[in-house]
Amino acid sequence: MATQDVEAAAPPVRIDTEGDGPAPERPRRRRYLLWRIAGYVLFIGAWALVSSLTEPYILPSPLEVLREMGEVVRRDDFWINVSATLRHLAIGFTIAFVLGTTIGIAMGRSAYWDAFFRDYVMLTLTTPGLVFALICVMIFGLLGIGPIVAIVLTSFPHITVNVVEGVRAIPRDLMDMASAYGVDRRTRIRHIVLPAIAPFLFTAIRYGFAIAWKITALTELFGQTDGVGIQIRVEFLFFDIAGVLAWAFFLVGFALVMERFVLQRLERRFFRWRPKAFA
Amino acid sequence: MDTAVRSGRTARPRRSWFERTFITPRAARITAPVLFLAAWQLIAPMIPSAILPMPAEVAEAMWEQLRDGTLVEAFSVSLLRLAIGFSMALVVGSVVGLAMGLSPRIEAMLHDFVVVGLTFPYLIWGLLVAMWFGYGWIGPVLVVFIAGLPYVILNMSEGVHDVSKELRDMAAAYEVPRDRELRHLVIPSLSPFFFASLRYGLANGWKGLILAEVFASTSGAGWHITSMRDYGDFAGVVGFAIYFALFSIVVERLVFGRLSRRVFRWRPSLAREMAEPPELTI
Repeated sequence: MATQDVEAAAPPVRIDTEGDGPAPERPRRRRYLLWRIAGYVLFIGAWALVSSLTEPYILPSPLEVLREMGEVVRRDDFWINVSATLRHLAIGFTIAFVLGTTIGIAMGRSAYWDAFFRDYVMLTLTTPGLVFALICVMIFGLLGIGPIVAIVLTSFPHITVNVVEGVRAIPRDLMDMASAYGVDRRTRIRHIVLPAIAPFLFTAIRYGFAIAWKITALTELFGQTDGVGIQIRVEFLFFDIAGVLAWAFFLVGFALVMERFVLQRLERRFFRWRPKAFA
Repeated sequence: MDTAVRSGRTARPRRSWFERTFITPRAARITAPVLFLAAWQLIAPMIPSAILPMPAEVAEAMWEQLRDGTLVEAFSVSLLRLAIGFSMALVVGSVVGLAMGLSPRIEAMLHDFVVVGLTFPYLIWGLLVAMWFGYGWIGPVLVVFIAGLPYVILNMSEGVHDVSKELRDMAAAYEVPRDRELRHLVIPSLSPFFFASLRYGLANGWKGLILAEVFASTSGAGWHITSMRDYGDFAGVVGFAIYFALFSIVVERLVFGRLSRRVFRWRPSLAREMAEPPELTI
């Protein structure tokens, strides 16, 4: 597993808190499956209980939210909005990845570029997304590219910090040896550089993605005519809690599926060649 | 982060006066914002001016916000909310995190919910508390609690896993008194995790709070910047955004950098790592 590889390079604290994307993975213990199920049962039970005690519009029951989700999917404009959001996400994230990787490589290799971008990267990691969303909507909203700019601005630093770590993890001794033996540049990149930074690239994608989809919805909510964000806003304005929850579960479900079944699978496939000892 | 290119090039060509003065990492930290300002000044006139204010207008708005006290008031309300919400998250999260660390059953029960808690967008929490509690303090404080909680839980449970089993066994074998074991073994190995939960929890609580204030309150920094936008005061919005950015730099650089160096004096490598920018969410 590549994440473990990153753990070896970084201190424990940093990875253990790895934000919203990658969950700390432990060997699946079947022994505790029952407890796991009990957790879900308790949660849904508590939810159903609270919703039966309050007015239905305050907290709709789990079943109602499920029904609402079905209704939302059947609406005419569902796919229009989802595809608009996916389009923003795809374009923005691709630009962010290229930009973030380029800057990350520059920062990893040169003290000058490191100093140049460091403040901006740090600032973006900690400034609330709302600030970026508002400004991007203000400046680029009329052009319809607000969400894309917001995605690029906020998610490229997450890609950059990981790429920087990756560049620093390139084994110096192997590079020296390669140059001593006159190994050509292509072979060096293929067999030393890429294997060293690949795990970091995957982490970069996961972090960047975790940020990107949230900022997309947020920016759309503040000033876009299509997209999931604007639908959430409409539900909010109509005081439809079931509707907001339905969209929330779609978003979270989409993010978890991407994270677990797409990105992690890809990563595992990519690192199959790696012997277990290094994994 | 000294990343000087440590290649074996020993005989470098002599650098000119210009290069020695301006092409240094120290100069780069000043060059970057200066270039940014220059680009802004140049590009702003090309876009309709009502939308992208000029740097001078923004500077004026920033001065105005500082002078009439809106800045201090907005941030102090928000910081108080952050403090209340996060203290609750710290207490509850530590208890739950320790329980998860000690018992695999509780961990199995709660693990998935913590993961979903990390993923759940603060935007949605902000909207929900607005609908549940209306405008006021309850909503924003609750979102800080919700946003900070999973980070505290995860770090504390990881911290418990990290306490060396061998050292604890040895302490038991040599009959080390409980309080000394706690003082010299458990607390030192938990402290980096506690520190991490403070840092990540606070940073994310802050982000959640700012969003919640937009929908669920009529005061605080998040509400303030949004209301300026609604009134069409674009220079004010950009100025306030710069204050947000300055605030994060100050907190990261001065508070957390210093603090981690102090707390981890006995582990210098860790202190350096903790001073690095973390990966955070929106």
